[in-house]
Amino acid sequence: MPGRYGVPTDPDYQERLAEFEARIRRGEKIEPGDWMPEEYRRQLIRMISQHAHSEVVGMLPEGAWITRAPSLKRKLILIAKVQDEAGHGQYLYHAAETLGVRREEMLEALLSGRAKYSSIFNYPTLTWADIGTIGWLVDGAAIKNQTMLAQCSYGPYSRAMVRICAEETFHHKQGKEMVLLYAHGTPKQRAMAQDAINRWWWPALMMLGPHDKDSPNTEVLVRWGIKTKTNDQVRQEFINEHAPEILAAGLSIPDPELRYDEKSGNWLHGPINWEEFWQVVGGNGPMNKERLEARRRAHAEGAWVREALQAYAARQQRAVAV
Amino acid sequence: MDTQWPRWEVFKQDAPGKPHQAVGSVHAADPEHALLTARNVFARRPQAVSLWVVRAEEVFSWTKEEIAQDPALQGGATPARGLRPTSYLVFRKTSHKRSMTFVDHVGEVQACSPQEALREALARFRDAEGLAWWVVAAEKVHRSDPSQETVESWFAPAKEKTYKQQQYYTTVSASRPKRRGEDEAFGEGCAHC
Amino acid sequence: MKPLVKDALIAKLTTLADDEVILAHRNSEWVGHGPILEEDIALANITQDELGHAILWYGLRKELDGSDPDRLAFFRDAYEYRCCELVELPKGDWAFTMLRQYLFDLYESLWLEAAQQSTYPPLAGAAQKIIREERFHLQHTRAWVERLGLGTEESNRRLQQALDFQWGYAQQLFVPIPGEELLVAEGIVPDLVPLKARWLEQASRHLQNAGLKLPINPGYQPTSREQHTEHLWSLLAEMQSTARWDPEAKVW
Repeated sequence: MPGRYGVPTDPDYQERLAEFEARIRRGEKIEPGDWMPEEYRRQLIRMISQHAHSEVVGMLPEGAWITRAPSLKRKLILIAKVQDEAGHGQYLYHAAETLGVRREEMLEALLSGRAKYSSIFNYPTLTWADIGTIGWLVDGAAIKNQTMLAQCSYGPYSRAMVRICAEETFHHKQGKEMVLLYAHGTPKQRAMAQDAINRWWWPALMMLGPHDKDSPNTEVLVRWGIKTKTNDQVRQEFINEHAPEILAAGLSIPDPELRYDEKSGNWLHGPINWEEFWQVVGGNGPMNKERLEARRRAHAEGAWVREALQAYAARQQRAVAV
Repeated sequence: MDTQWPRWEVFKQDAPGKPHQAVGSVHAADPEHALLTARNVFARRPQAVSLWVVRAEEVFSWTKEEIAQDPALQGGATPARGLRPTSYLVFRKTSHKRSMTFVDHVGEVQACSPQEALREALARFRDAEGLAWWVVAAEKVHRSDPSQETVESWFAPAKEKTYKQQQYYTTVSASRPKRRGEDEAFGEGCAHC
Repeated sequence: MKPLVKDALIAKLTTLADDEVILAHRNSEWVGHGPILEEDIALANITQDELGHAILWYGLRKELDGSDPDRLAFFRDAYEYRCCELVELPKGDWAFTMLRQYLFDLYESLWLEAAQQSTYPPLAGAAQKIIREERFHLQHTRAWVERLGLGTEESNRRLQQALDFQWGYAQQLFVPIPGEELLVAEGIVPDLVPLKARWLEQASRHLQNAGLKLPINPGYQPTSREQHTEHLWSLLAEMQSTARWDPEAKVW
């Protein structure tokens, strides 16, 4: 199914690139089979597979609290939410597969530690309120990105994102509902909610990616309609929506420099600790090793199951052939 | 070498009378397993009444650009001699609008090869411009059981799992959690999109 | 409803709900750790359905005695829980989990099928509602038993081990609770005796077709829901830890 992937040494590259970029400017979707620059394909595989890995690894910090959810309803909601994350990983691997890369290869890249995934999932979930806070802040930040990516020029990625957005809004709202409830709850619930906001605020800002000046891929991604906004723009949107809501709930934000700027209409934030971000991305976050280990274990323990079904299918096929 | 099982394209029908639409794919070992899996992955929420699955390799696809560059695919169908025609299902995409589904089922043609089926489809389905086409031999498609009991068992329970719907949560005002029913009306889709 | 019948019904509904809560707990331990993404999603569906059933059964009990489902789930200890021992057993490997789910689904769909005729309308209504998704579960877990049984030598061996382990425990699903005969006499719940015969017949056939041997000696068969495995105490300690952390909390 994969189409032709152009490289700058092709004799007709410039001509085809111009047609390709004109299509994107007209708002057309690029579909599997269409001509595309090899670099477009490479960037998409990188982004989509990272995104898929993030969903799959992201199941772990929240999944760990399913067995400790404090009510039947919350337990039900959390299972559905973590299940959605598996679904989102599934949709995204599908989108990457349309570019001619196999899921086996992508998983191998994740499990060997070569592939990256979102920095946010390398932080621990220490209390139940972390579950609400992840829904509100982490999914809130993710939705900003996903809403943008739903406009992406590559059809399969865009479609996966539209489907994900529709489901993710539930994640965001259930998280927000939970934190607001605890903000108005008992002193212990309230303290737990505040502690969670204190720990997740900065990582949520970081997960939207480095500042534009340190983000070498952004320019080409915007030109090719893969992204339509820069990291800093998305981050500003996130803060503008969430900061006033957190404060209105009577909770505080762990940034002494945070203030509303009348002139620009933006909430301005203090400096982000990028050293911490690069440490986490580089594999030195508090949970990097545990997360990867959990994925490797599940993969290894599932190997005999996957083989068994493959053997069963082969036997059925032989029976049909005979 | 690890196996993630073969990939199957999934088509979901939202309601009787509506077309089956390509929604994505699942990894599954065999046809029955693929259908069960498709139900688990793509009918976690309403709406669905029927599912089809087909091995990804059995799908023949062309974009408008590919068709334009292959003169052999244009013009009417010229049946190959000596071969018995079989049924092919035809799927088509006609819009660049944002969507969570890809090609829609538009009908069936008789042809001796996928290429011929496409030529036949191009000649027959001319009501809208096709941006992408899929052609699949009908015999390769595995379909969920259409009986009322199965439809009820596979697809009805999702309607009652309202806690997965964003409309269930009432958090519009940050300063005061609202009661259910007080929330503004959200559509089926994404409030942010 | 006569007080004795009502008490028996409350007790029966509690066992139904407790089975579902604890089985859902065990299955939920797989979320994020399944053998492949698609099956992670599938088991999470089953788990949500079971929790949904538990909420429904506790809800019927609430109509009878006003008890709060979350109090029942999160503030009773191992002395008070009335689940069967089968559902308490640790999740084991994928074969163990799939087999237990199959044995339980077959029991539950037979029970629900019959309970649709209950003379107690709320119970009949609930059974009619959840039998639909239970049919899908059974289709799903039947398919798994067949595939693991007829897959590789290893999958067959693991499934056989699970069967040898669970067969005796599964028989407890058909042990009536004290007072259940009153409910049967009033037509409120189905008689477990004919259900067991059908369960044995269908399970034996399917398991044997999947290349498994039924255990000659079924081993330990629990008979009282007042007794539990050594796992329940710690399972509940984990499950209830957040709810009990702040007993003053009114809502979560």
